[in-house]
Amino acid sequence: MATVEAWQPAPSLPPPRTETGWIGWAKANLFGNWLSGLVTVVTVPIILWAVWSMVSWLVGPADWTVITSRPQQYAIGLYPTEHAWRPLIGWLLVSILFGMAAAMWGGAARRIAIGYGVVTVLLGVLPYGMFHEGVVMPWWVRAFILGNLLTLGIGYLLGSNAKTARPRNFVLGGIAIYVLLLLILNGIPGVPGMEEVAPRKWGGLMLNLILAVSGIFFAFPIGILLALGRRSSLPVVKVLCVVFIEVFRGVPLITLLFMSQVLVPLALPANFPVDSVTRAAIVITLFSAAYTAENIRGGLQGLHPGQAEAARALGLPGWQVTMLIQLPQAIRNVIPAIVGQFIALFKDTSLVYIVGMLDILEMGRSIVQGNVQFTDNGRENLIFVAVVFWLFTYTMSYASRRVERRLGVGRR
Amino acid sequence: MATETAVAADPASEQDNIIVARDVHKWFGNFHALRGVTTTVGRGEVVVVIGPSGSGKSTFIRTINRLEQHQRGDIIVDGVEMTEDVRNIDAIRSEVGMVFQSFNLFPHLTVMRNITLAPTKVRKTPMDEADASAMQLLERVGIPEQAEKYPGELSGGQQQRVAIARALAMNPKIMLFDEPTSALDPEMIKEVLEVMKELAASHQMTIVAITHELGFAREVADRIVMFDEGQIVEDLPPDEFFNNPRHERVRRFLSQIL
Repeated sequence: MATVEAWQPAPSLPPPRTETGWIGWAKANLFGNWLSGLVTVVTVPIILWAVWSMVSWLVGPADWTVITSRPQQYAIGLYPTEHAWRPLIGWLLVSILFGMAAAMWGGAARRIAIGYGVVTVLLGVLPYGMFHEGVVMPWWVRAFILGNLLTLGIGYLLGSNAKTARPRNFVLGGIAIYVLLLLILNGIPGVPGMEEVAPRKWGGLMLNLILAVSGIFFAFPIGILLALGRRSSLPVVKVLCVVFIEVFRGVPLITLLFMSQVLVPLALPANFPVDSVTRAAIVITLFSAAYTAENIRGGLQGLHPGQAEAARALGLPGWQVTMLIQLPQAIRNVIPAIVGQFIALFKDTSLVYIVGMLDILEMGRSIVQGNVQFTDNGRENLIFVAVVFWLFTYTMSYASRRVERRLGVGRR
Repeated sequence: MATETAVAADPASEQDNIIVARDVHKWFGNFHALRGVTTTVGRGEVVVVIGPSGSGKSTFIRTINRLEQHQRGDIIVDGVEMTEDVRNIDAIRSEVGMVFQSFNLFPHLTVMRNITLAPTKVRKTPMDEADASAMQLLERVGIPEQAEKYPGELSGGQQQRVAIARALAMNPKIMLFDEPTSALDPEMIKEVLEVMKELAASHQMTIVAITHELGFAREVADRIVMFDEGQIVEDLPPDEFFNNPRHERVRRFLSQIL
């Protein structure tokens, strides 16, 4: 008779240590073989030299007067100074949303709001715009800027209150604030102090942000409709969507912007109330929508056909299969691509210089070129503008990574 | 080509047959996938369908809830003929539950929401009612503790049991199983088969199951139907099917899979 032996699984051991301090790390990663060692020996001095030159320029001859003396132009372009309080009011309203998001979603939203608050405080207290050419930033502007901490806090309270902290309220509040902001900037006829400031005079970072937010807000739903239309079984809908997508993807944005200023007016009555900024915003939106549509279509095509089958087998009607099963999964799968598209959109807003708008990049260029004392400060100007763009785009990609991770729950 | 009059074991009138298929043909391009399938399934009957891959067995059960459209012949499910009419199709689909080889759970919804989705959206069942019956179903399939997890966090066997619960949530008259255990690791096949056996034994619903679990077929099937080349080759009660098949093709197939 065979004896039955008791079986014991072997103990689970910790993994072997391969790295011993930074020397071991360098040996493994920088000098692993002769080719890797050669690459290290060649590239490290080049990098060090580049960093050294950059740092020595930054601490030495770099002169940031071009930026510190012109904060208003970088921020709002040639928006009239006597009305500059209006963008500041708009900013106060936007801060409410940041506070609300921080309280409602925590995590990344909270960290972004904290960063936002820190930047706001720095903008409020740093001694720029005060000492040059007799330009002094008025105290009330600083008061307005620091006031954002107050509205940020109000938003946080709204987001902490169980009654108001609803995603629906956040979205509706966002839309209301967006409309109100445009109204305040544009002016309300007949109200003293709210004289019209035509969008042609909007500029600076404010213009980039308005164009980007409008673009993202409208490009997303339009893109979804185009993606669904392109997969439609109705030939007319399908052809229209394909033509739209391919036209807007096939023509450079600059060309479209030109056409919006030169060709579209020909097709519209002379007094048609659409100004050049709105036209630019529409073109940027449609351009971005075409790309978004293709991203979402890719996401829809990547879904296992069994998903739709299972939903149909349960008796769900076609539109619910799309809205409840396919779109949520498709959009989640293409968040990185869509956010990439929106980052591109934000950067592309600087192309409105083509139609004579003074966005932050073009504003900076005209400050440098239009003032003799700044002709040598082109580098400082470009570095500043690049950092501003980077701060926003990095925040977007950071938020996207966190959203992905949160939605990735239970994925397979 | 099998004619069913001889095999319909029950003294079944047309009304008692919940599924009637007459000379059903289906092509995929030039490929003739179903070549005149005629059969009936009685109410409460448990039919196991077997056959080599590409024999049309899966295509056939997918025509029953019109995930595939047949091009010739008639399919009548619970008195409703399957036609182009969309309302018919949705009505039939909510009465026919289907379980797939690859589970096809909705990965973005919790187990609970997977189960309550169709009752609340199609039947307009109130959410709390749907939740309560979903919980009962999860208990029936033995995994009430997984209710708030996402499908990706469950094992294959657990996912398939959730898929069965999801289909049962619509109180279907017919359950279709399309190789429900083929994608499972061996140690998980049993837990799914147990649930299916329990369903079959309750005799509350008609079951058409494609499976090569012959032990299951022997134990619970009223009939075993074998497909090959888009046709029904054999249609017999299990005992006869295994011990005394009429066609040599059945014997060859059984010897290949046993």
